[in-house]
Order: sequence, then structure tokens, then C-alpha cells
Amino acid sequence: MSKFLLLTKREIQERLGQKGFWYMLVLGPLVLLLLLVAILKAADEGKQELKVLIADPGQIMAHRLMAQDEKNIHYYFIDDYLEMQEFEQAKAYQEFDVLLELNEKVLNNKKCFVFYRDQLGLDARMQLKFQVEKRMEELIASQHSTLTEQAFRQIKQGFVFDFRDLQDPKNESKEANAWAGFVIGAFILFFVGLYGMTIFRATVREKNNRIVEVLLASVRPQQLMLSKITGIGLVALLQLLGWAVVLSIGLLFLEQTVFLDVFDPSNWGEAAPQRLNPLSSLVFEQLNLPFLLLHFILFFAASFLFYGSLFAVLGARSSADADGQQFLLPLIFMVAFGIFAGIYAIYYPNTTLTEVLTYLPFSSPVLAFITLAKGATVVGYTTTMLSLLILLGAALLLLKLAGRWYKQHILKF
Amino acid sequence: MIKVAQISKSYQRKLVLDNVSLEVPKGQIFGLLGPNGAGKTTLIRMLNQMLRPDAGSIYFDGQLLQASHLQQIGYLPEERGLYKSMGVRAHLLFLAQLRGLTKQDAAQNVDHWLTHFEIQDWQNKRIATLSKGMAQKVQFIAALVHQPQLLILDEPLSGFDPLNVELIMNEIKALKEKGTTIILSTHNMKSVDEICDHAALLHQGKLLAQDAVLHLRQAHAKGRVFVRFKGNMLSFANALWTDFTLLEQKERTEGVFECILQIRGTSTVNDLMRSLQANVEVQHLELLLPSMQEVFVDLITQKETQDV
Repeated sequence: MSKFLLLTKREIQERLGQKGFWYMLVLGPLVLLLLLVAILKAADEGKQELKVLIADPGQIMAHRLMAQDEKNIHYYFIDDYLEMQEFEQAKAYQEFDVLLELNEKVLNNKKCFVFYRDQLGLDARMQLKFQVEKRMEELIASQHSTLTEQAFRQIKQGFVFDFRDLQDPKNESKEANAWAGFVIGAFILFFVGLYGMTIFRATVREKNNRIVEVLLASVRPQQLMLSKITGIGLVALLQLLGWAVVLSIGLLFLEQTVFLDVFDPSNWGEAAPQRLNPLSSLVFEQLNLPFLLLHFILFFAASFLFYGSLFAVLGARSSADADGQQFLLPLIFMVAFGIFAGIYAIYYPNTTLTEVLTYLPFSSPVLAFITLAKGATVVGYTTTMLSLLILLGAALLLLKLAGRWYKQHILKF
Repeated sequence: MIKVAQISKSYQRKLVLDNVSLEVPKGQIFGLLGPNGAGKTTLIRMLNQMLRPDAGSIYFDGQLLQASHLQQIGYLPEERGLYKSMGVRAHLLFLAQLRGLTKQDAAQNVDHWLTHFEIQDWQNKRIATLSKGMAQKVQFIAALVHQPQLLILDEPLSGFDPLNVELIMNEIKALKEKGTTIILSTHNMKSVDEICDHAALLHQGKLLAQDAVLHLRQAHAKGRVFVRFKGNMLSFANALWTDFTLLEQKERTEGVFECILQIRGTSTVNDLMRSLQANVEVQHLELLLPSMQEVFVDLITQKETQDV
């Protein structure tokens, strides 16, 4: 076995021999799945179901609020005053969540009180305010003009500006997909950072306990550095694949259990096109996960070589963990820069800066996944592959330079 | 075995080795001596090809030193470490294979040395659980597990208790008997006196002296003589006249004395013999040689006096 393979094998064995690796392998994806369930559930349950009792002694609203009933807010009317204490305590009103008090002068003073039992979400507050306001406007309009209610509603109807990309007229590359791609790209940088720190710490430890002097009597410093990056990188990849397997099994399990109703066609009925909430739809239907996984591995490998060599050099440059922390800061800023570049690219996809960031090795993994997740066109895919090649080229160049720096510093105690 | 020819090395304009040349004879124990900062570690790292000289060359068995020679070199650094998470046997196998042994040969050699040092019971222990002395033994085995022709030992005795010092000293001698060339860098001058055949002294990057240990000691002899005689102490003192100074005297048994004398001026041991024979019965006479510790101090002091 070559020395490089021996060193790489040892790195892998050391990491696999650590309990932390196996805990992370199982717990990491489980936490992610739990988070996903929580988010999906939250998205489903985001709209608060409310029963609103409107006390309208002047019968101003004429027992009517909306042309059509809202799905989650149901309105009921009484034509009398209702005291707050009575609403709170009387058995007859316990089924209502909210009391909306309209006095006879409401059209003049434009003030009403809303009493609630449980805290109202922002969405519910906005919905309630919007609907009552709209009804009030109708009533004011009818007092001060000859307009019919229908004519007034037509006047008030807002314009819908539906922005469409000429290259994507059906609006298939949705923003949600872009954000999902951003999360995947950021995940690459997160994992690179996490295992980059492992490279850093392992290098510092080897230097501090002087095993490096024994090793360098047998292998070249560059060989030692590359084997460390490769070994730890393979372990990181192994963990990622493990995560992918556990996550796939978990998603399948969720599909068959927790989200069974949303996947059962018999439950779809007339609401078939909206059978999933946007997040469920994104995770289970819109993202091409195997395609993304393949590119994830490619970008991860290139990014790991790129950043790994920098972490190794910093480790060689440091004489103790604490000493090395200060040198890590610029590197952490670089990782953060990549993530912020992704956010910028989502908001400003067609600027010159975004184009530059697409090819810049620090940010290209995140930007590439934004493109890929949206469903890359031929041009987009070519751009992504070109950015991958640039990242790989930069990684190889950096490895060569880092090898020299590593050699210069590793024996300075 | 090793020829170092006009080696120089600088770190950031600081000259660490200055035109150093020396030869390490095959099958001998070569003491590489010098105070801290003399350049010993730099020279050793060059022999291990961790560093390249700025000028000069190193030859291994007549060939320019190259990577392939590393398999024939064993190295025990002064500040040595091991992977704490690895087992003793696994670690030795790993280092042996790094030195170019096949897995089978490595296993065979590791088992041999574990048995030789009677530490087979440790083979599955994690390095982290070993005491410092135990770890030192493992490190010593790691340096010679691939049966190198040249063994470089940098302070091999540091960290060992007296019993293990004896064990390691005997092992070094045994390796020499088997034909291994050994470079021993140490501050332990007693060990140099005891086991080194040749020695070189480095000081501030320069080679101050290099020769057989006996020659170095002879060259720095201070003219002190040990004498054991039977007779009268007064007669003995009278025989010395002004050419010899009596430094120490001790009556060993009745009428038998042991003395240390200092030869003065241009007098010789033969002059002393002639003076004494007429007065006492000389049982033993020996020219006392300085220890390597004394040679070391002497050379450094001379050099520093010259520099001043």
C-alpha cells in the first residue's frame, strides 16, 4: 500500500473509531427530519382557525362582512352590546375566540376594540383588520355616494402584477426552489467548515504532540497534508451519504405516515392542485433530489479540497489551538461571504456582481445550487459546470501553494 | 556510511549551519554533540530529508542522499509523539509500513520487538493509556522496527528511568554489534563516554571538533596521572621534585598509596617513571583522560575565548 493510502486509511480509521461520528450520522439527519416535520406542520397550521363574534348593536354591518366566507376565520353577529367580562365568562360565548366590538359611531370615529382569548398571530390580525376595514369602506361609500356595493368593490379591486421572466414565462423556476438551492449550497459550506475545522485541529494536534516529526521522516509534507484532507474529506462524504440515506428513509417514512393524507389521492378531491402546502410540494415534488445529490458530491469534493488546504495551512501555522483561532477568522468570513453571496444572488439574479460571484470559488457552490434547484437551463447548467471547473482548478492550485506553506510551517514549533 | 560535505543552512537570514563537513563511519556509534541551538536538530532533519541544505551535499553509502534511502534510516526525534487513539501494535505496524515494509514483514518485525522488550501484553493497549516510559519504549521500537542500517537517536534516554536507560544503552550496543550505524545526539555525556566510538561537536552552527572519542579525550588530556605504589609517602613526595604536583593522595592499605599527580612543564610520564622507580615500588600508573563532558566544556570555552 502506498504511503498516501496508508495515511489516508489511518485518518479514516481514526474518525470512524470516534463515537461522535456515529452519533452525528444518526442524530444529525434525525434532527433535520424533526425540523422538517416541524416546518411542514407549521406551514400547514400557519393559519389560525378563529371564531369571531361581532357585537354590532347598530347593525351597521347588516350581518355581513365578506362576499365569501374565509376558510379559517368565521364571523358571527349579535345585535347588542356585549361586556368584556360577560364574553370572557359566560358559557354561551366560550366557543368564540375573539370579540369584535363595533359601536354605533364606528363609521365616524373609526375605532373598534378586539378582545381575544389566546394571542392572535400576525396573519390573523392582518386578515381581521383587512376584512373589517374593507366592509367599513363599503358602508362609507354607500353613505357618501350612489355607487352600488358591487361597483365599489370593482373600483377597490387591486391590480395584479404578475412578473414573468421571458426565459421562464411559465414561472417554473420559483423563488422557493432558489431558496432551497441556497440552503443546499450553504449546507455544503457548513459541512466544509465543520470538517475543515477537523483538519485544522488534527494538524495542530499532530504538530503539538510532535508525531509530525516522526511522520515527516517517512513522507513528504505535501503528501501528509493531502492525505489528511482526503481522509477527512472522505469521512465527511461518508457521513453526508449516510445522512442522505437516513434522510431518504426518513422522508419515505414521513410520506407513508405523518403526511399520508396529503399523498393519498382519495384525499385530494377538488383541491388536487393544492394538495400539498408549498414546502411539502417543494421537498417532495419540485426538487430533483438525485440530480442535486450528484452535484452536491461534485461541488462538495471540490470545495473541500479548496477550503481544506487552507485549514491545513492554518493548522500548520498554529502552534496551539488557541493560537490558531485568530487565523480562522478570515476563513470563517470567507465561508460567510459565500453564504451572503447566495442571498444577494437570489434577490439580484442578473447583475454583473452575481455573474462574478457565480464563478468565484468562495461563493460558486451556493450560487450553483440556486441555479440547479431552480431547474437549470442549458445555459445555466453550462455556467454551473464552468464554475465547478474553476472551483476545481482553484482548489488544485491552492493545494500546490498550501503544500509549500504547510512544509514551511509544520516543523516550526 | 554518512558523509556530510560543506553543508550550510539559514533560516530567515540566520545561519544555522555554517559549512559543516563530517563523516559517520559505518557500524559505529557516532555522538553528535553540541549545546542547545548548535544546529544538531537541523542537521538531523537534513539527514532525514525533512530539510534541504542551502549549500553542500549529504552522501549515504557513497550515494547522494535521496528519498529511497529513507527506508534504511531509523529516526527517534527528541520531541516525539504518537497517535494517542491508536493501539500499540497498530501504531507500530502503521509506522513500519510507512517506512516501506510490507504488511507481513511489518507484522513479523513488530511481534519480534514486542517480544524482545517483553511488552507483548501491551499490544492492544491504546497509546493514551501508556505511561511516559512505556510510550518511550514504543517510540524506540518504532525507530528501529524496519531494521534500518542507520539509526538516528536524538536524546534517546530522556524520559527513561535508570533501569530503562540501562536497557536502551544495552540495546544500542547490541544494534551496533549487529552492524547498525548509530548517530546519537545527546547531552548525556556519560553515555557518550560509555558507548560512542566517534563524536563531533557543533557550536553555533560550526563544527568545532570531530574524531574518535579516544582521540578527542587524548587530545584534551590535562597531564594528570594516577599512580598506585607501595612504599613511603615521604620518599614518593621527594621523588616528585618540582616537575610534578601531588593533587590527591589516599592510603589504600597499609603501605599502599593511590595518588593523582599533575605533570608540569615539559616533563613526561617517562620522567615520572624514572623518578619514582628509585624511591617506591610502582604497582600501577595511568595517564588520566578527560571525560567527554570535560572535552565538551573545554572546546566550547576555547571557542568562546577565541571569539571574545
